Amino acid sequence: MRKSTEFQTAAVLADIRPGGAAVVTALHRIDPLLRRRLNDLGVAEGSRLTVRRFGPFGGPLTFECAGQLVGIRRFEASRLEVART
Amino acid sequence: MSDYALLGNPNTGKTSLFNMLTRSYETVGNWSGVTVEKRIGTLRGKAGRIVDLPGLYSLLPLTEDEGVAARFLMEEADGPILNIVDASQLERNLYLTMQLLEYGKPVMIGLNMVDVARARGIDVDAQALRRELGVPVVPIVARKGTGCSEVLRGLGELGRAPASFRLDYGPALEAAAADIAGMVGAAAAAGATSKADPRWTALQLLEGNPAVRSALPQTADLAAIDERIRRAAPELERETGGADSAAHIRQVRRQRIAEICGAVVDRSAQHDHTATERIDSIVTHRLLGIPLFLALMYLIFKLTFDWLGSVLSDVLDGFISGPLSQWISYALTSLGAAPFTQALVVDGIVGGVGGVLVFLPQIFILFLLISFIEDSGYMSRITLLMDRTMEAVGLSGKAFIPFIIGFGCNVPAIMAARTMEQRKDRLLTTLLVPLMSCSARLPVYALFAGVFFVSNRASVVMGLYVLGMVLALALAKLFSRTLLKSEPSVFVVELPPYRMPQLLSLLRMTWEKVKGFLRKAGTIILAGSVVIWFLSNTGPGGFGVDMNDSFLAYIGGALSTLLIPLGFGTWQAGAALITGFMAKEIVVSTMNIIYQAPDMAGLEHQVALAFTPLQAFSFVVFILLYIPCLATVGVIRKETSSWRWTFFSMGYSLALAYLVSLLLYQGGHLLGFV
Repeated sequence: MRKSTEFQTAAVLADIRPGGAAVVTALHRIDPLLRRRLNDLGVAEGSRLTVRRFGPFGGPLTFECAGQLVGIRRFEASRLEVART
Repeated sequence: MSDYALLGNPNTGKTSLFNMLTRSYETVGNWSGVTVEKRIGTLRGKAGRIVDLPGLYSLLPLTEDEGVAARFLMEEADGPILNIVDASQLERNLYLTMQLLEYGKPVMIGLNMVDVARARGIDVDAQALRRELGVPVVPIVARKGTGCSEVLRGLGELGRAPASFRLDYGPALEAAAADIAGMVGAAAAAGATSKADPRWTALQLLEGNPAVRSALPQTADLAAIDERIRRAAPELERETGGADSAAHIRQVRRQRIAEICGAVVDRSAQHDHTATERIDSIVTHRLLGIPLFLALMYLIFKLTFDWLGSVLSDVLDGFISGPLSQWISYALTSLGAAPFTQALVVDGIVGGVGGVLVFLPQIFILFLLISFIEDSGYMSRITLLMDRTMEAVGLSGKAFIPFIIGFGCNVPAIMAARTMEQRKDRLLTTLLVPLMSCSARLPVYALFAGVFFVSNRASVVMGLYVLGMVLALALAKLFSRTLLKSEPSVFVVELPPYRMPQLLSLLRMTWEKVKGFLRKAGTIILAGSVVIWFLSNTGPGGFGVDMNDSFLAYIGGALSTLLIPLGFGTWQAGAALITGFMAKEIVVSTMNIIYQAPDMAGLEHQVALAFTPLQAFSFVVFILLYIPCLATVGVIRKETSSWRWTFFSMGYSLALAYLVSLLLYQGGHLLGFV
């Protein structure tokens, strides 16, 4: 039982619907350059993110972290592991 | 006298503060990466000089412009540091502050955007922050100049004592840092000049900063240092369980920052950026976003070419070709000037330079509108909207910022490419920016569109801009598939809150750019006009020959056979193209002189006789594409540090121009156009 709840809450950022919030659990699958930049912007393990919107035609995803808006591609967002809150 | 270094995160208002502190008018904008090169200014009151450096998040450089700041700290910085931090983003901003406090120089904090923070319900206690960091903290609003005199006074009282702030990284890393600092210090004592504090240098090395490592003095024993860094990892692991020194250092800093923010920031009344959210829900809407962007671009062209710009240009043309020419002729006659001098001044200089100056209003309006986009915060939204398209051709959406700046002038546009994270993106953007139709090409379009495409001027001109953009994207695809095969591009962009640009600052920014155009008119276009006038009046037969026997006709004629398939195989067109390499506006100057036009109407009449509409279209397309101007070639060489890429950029654009014009002209012919 416990296992299945964990499965439900573990997700990637690209799965979160606009308006939904999540906490970053792992960044290691992201491109190293991008990971550094996200770190610079204060996005690290444990940061709380809110997804704002998806761009047109599979375009970038915008999320908010500590009052700051950041855009990254959906592909990268699908490698950013989060836990739903 | 001291040299102060101005450092802070991107888009925190460094350049605004720099302008306020120094009376300069450097370009400011609301996106990351406005400043890509260091700039030096003299402080008001002559208390010293201040260096404005590109924004950076930490001292580990990721992009070229960030490298500028890191190298400056290693090699040149010798004085106190003025660190500007964004009060509404204190947590993220303090990360750089931690590293600057360790740097071993006096530090002062300018706590900027306290108004923005307050508007969002974030209250930062400057006094508490001063106690936590142990350095002076001055609350400011750089955009309005609030607090700037306190900053100036504070800098004067800063003294020489280094910041006393110190973080404890735990026994393992502290021991390693002390050992490495000893080695670096010994190397410095051996006569090498390093400006940086040894402990700071040691910590940066433990963090793996490549810029700091490569800037170590020659005498430093790199092998021993690297060995000590390696030895730190197992020691750290015994102590904390993790062996990554860099991650540990970051974590210690982050933890301290969290404590500081807990003590100084009151977020109890915090709320979202409601206005920004509302604007974004429209302009980055998944269906409306791109159409709105295109509509905005069309509006810019309408304003520049139809509604406002061309009307003002006509007024200016009336003045230059009418009263001004008459006054000059009258003055020259009454001074007893020889007919030769009169012809040189009136036909050569007034014709050449004046013919270009006429377009000043259009160029002013275009730059004003681009400045508005830069300063409002819309620029980074454009990258978001265009990223999908750019990704498809192998570029990052951020490449669109240089592209848009390129509509004003290619030179700063190529420099703006520095802010991209990947080398491939930077190089590709640098090579393709020249296809963005800059304001110097605008006079040529305005002239030809005014003759041949009067009823749909703005659409034809916009078509040319779109053509340049489409070709740039197609070539990006081609080059990223062939020449620059490498990893896919990455994209990450910060979206700052929107703000209403202030009219005065917009006008100043625009004026700074227009000044560049005027300077060009007074130097290279003036000189070019004089040379062209001489070449068009002298020939093998001496001075005063018929223009068709002039040197200019021979030079242009040599090229003209090559241009016949493109529809404009005349020596006049050939001559204009050659001279246009110096600066694209000179194409119009040359035509003014060659066709001896008294004013715009006269020139338009001559041009209408010399070209058919199809030939004219083929000609302007060729002008759009054929070669980066001399100044752009210079900056391409500087940014790529390679003559090969520089010649490549000239070569491919010539080939492209020839091919596209050929297809247009021959294709148009077959379809029955003339």
